[in-house]
Amino acid sequence: MTFIMYLLLFLLILGLVAVASNPSPYFAALGLVLVAGMGCGVLVSHGGPFLSLILFLIYLGGMLVVFAYSAALAAEPYPETWGSRPVIMSVMIYVLGVLLVGGIFWGGWYESSWMSVDELMEFSILRGDMAGVAMMYSSGGLMLIISAWVLLLTLFVVLELTRGLNRGALRAV
Amino acid sequence: MTPTHFAFSSAFMLGLMGLAFHRQHLLSALLCLEGMMLSLFIALSLWTLQLDSTSFSASPMLLLAFSACEASAGLALLVATTRTHGSDQLQNLNLLQC
Repeated sequence: MTFIMYLLLFLLILGLVAVASNPSPYFAALGLVLVAGMGCGVLVSHGGPFLSLILFLIYLGGMLVVFAYSAALAAEPYPETWGSRPVIMSVMIYVLGVLLVGGIFWGGWYESSWMSVDELMEFSILRGDMAGVAMMYSSGGLMLIISAWVLLLTLFVVLELTRGLNRGALRAV
Repeated sequence: MTPTHFAFSSAFMLGLMGLAFHRQHLLSALLCLEGMMLSLFIALSLWTLQLDSTSFSASPMLLLAFSACEASAGLALLVATTRTHGSDQLQNLNLLQC
């Protein structure tokens, strides 16, 4: 379990390095897919299967598909992978920075100390996050209404931004 | 600082540095923003799960809703920029100004 957790966290940081080191947007979207998958694994390992499912279905299935589709707009004839020179330079700089900062905290991470402290959790079928998310419909109703209103507003913003060249909010002058 | 906390906070800082230092494509900046949002989602979820405060676990969902708004507005700007300027390279926005 300790090894799996360290592997998940390491791949999470490595995926963000792959996004932040500025390759072509196709590959950056691939790095973000890696980060989302590893984040799902981290959340499951901490005992939150519903939040992990939300992250996997909504984020990876809904939003990242749109991002991967929009990567077609950023097409370029010579895409830069992680092997090209400026990208591999920034990858090395970022990895070195993470290792330097992590070296400060390295002494506090004892290798075998990864255990969960909650007890009697294994007798319950439902985890706590399902009940907690359902609280959104009772106590957090105001925030639910605000979120739905913001999503509706964003729909009109998007329609107005992409309406057309002569009537929309952005146009060529 | 536990390894999990170190992982998501360094992920947030990496996304922020990628957004600050590399601005060749508009889509790369949006992807770095999405990476920051993803680390914030993981951070809020871990706050809920590690402190056993389960009534707090609706907040990652609300964060996801707001970040969907951010991503859709950014992608709409990307589409509009591509239609007026031909590509999403941020150099073109300075080159082709009238």
